[in-house]
Amino acid sequence: MTDPLPPLRVLVPVPGRVVPMGDVPDPVFAASLVGPGAALDPNRSRQQAIAPIAGSIAKLHPHAYVVVAPDGRGVLVHLGIDTVQLKGAGFTLLAAEDDDVEAGTPVVEWDPAAIEADGRSPVCPVVALDATADAIAVVGVGDEVEAGAELFTWS
Amino acid sequence: MVDAEKIVAGLGGAENIVEIEPCATRLRTEVRDASKVDDAALKAAGAIAVMRSGSAVQVIVGTEADTIASDIEELLE
Repeated sequence: MTDPLPPLRVLVPVPGRVVPMGDVPDPVFAASLVGPGAALDPNRSRQQAIAPIAGSIAKLHPHAYVVVAPDGRGVLVHLGIDTVQLKGAGFTLLAAEDDDVEAGTPVVEWDPAAIEADGRSPVCPVVALDATADAIAVVGVGDEVEAGAELFTWS
Repeated sequence: MVDAEKIVAGLGGAENIVEIEPCATRLRTEVRDASKVDDAALKAAGAIAVMRSGSAVQVIVGTEADTIASDIEELLE
């Protein structure tokens, strides 16, 4: 057996209100099928989504990205629901795949108000990939938070 | 590991797939005949879950979805 990994602090990637994953209007995220976590109902202003943990950008889509910590744990940030359909329109990449980032490094600039005006939910699931539900302790569901605040701890 | 070949088979074979597109964690597919899609076979091929809405079938595979989709597209060519 290996030693348990130290708790990982996962930061709020976009400013907004913390909502439970079960409230995300998408059955895959709501059922935590790819992992547990929490979501943000983002402020409706053009904003920069940041890396929630330090590590390497393992996947970078215009509307979603995965940062993997040196210990192998990965966090997915998904900007809005069904936003793959926009094929990148309205998203500006501020980093590149395989970049090493600090927690807080800007990754994508986007505008949740434009997503909503176009008929999609701008809610942003933040997923602890392949984690078990009991490994996640979410801080402050319902709170209005700034990017960079602590969203959950992954033990 | 997700097996691209078995995913194609689980979706009813190459001739049943109209379109396949990766999202961050899932393959969004459009099939000709949804009754030919075998959820159990897709899960045996490595899928986490299968979501259906008529001929639109989403295969949840995790964050390697883009790589798996390119493997599948090669098989379909």
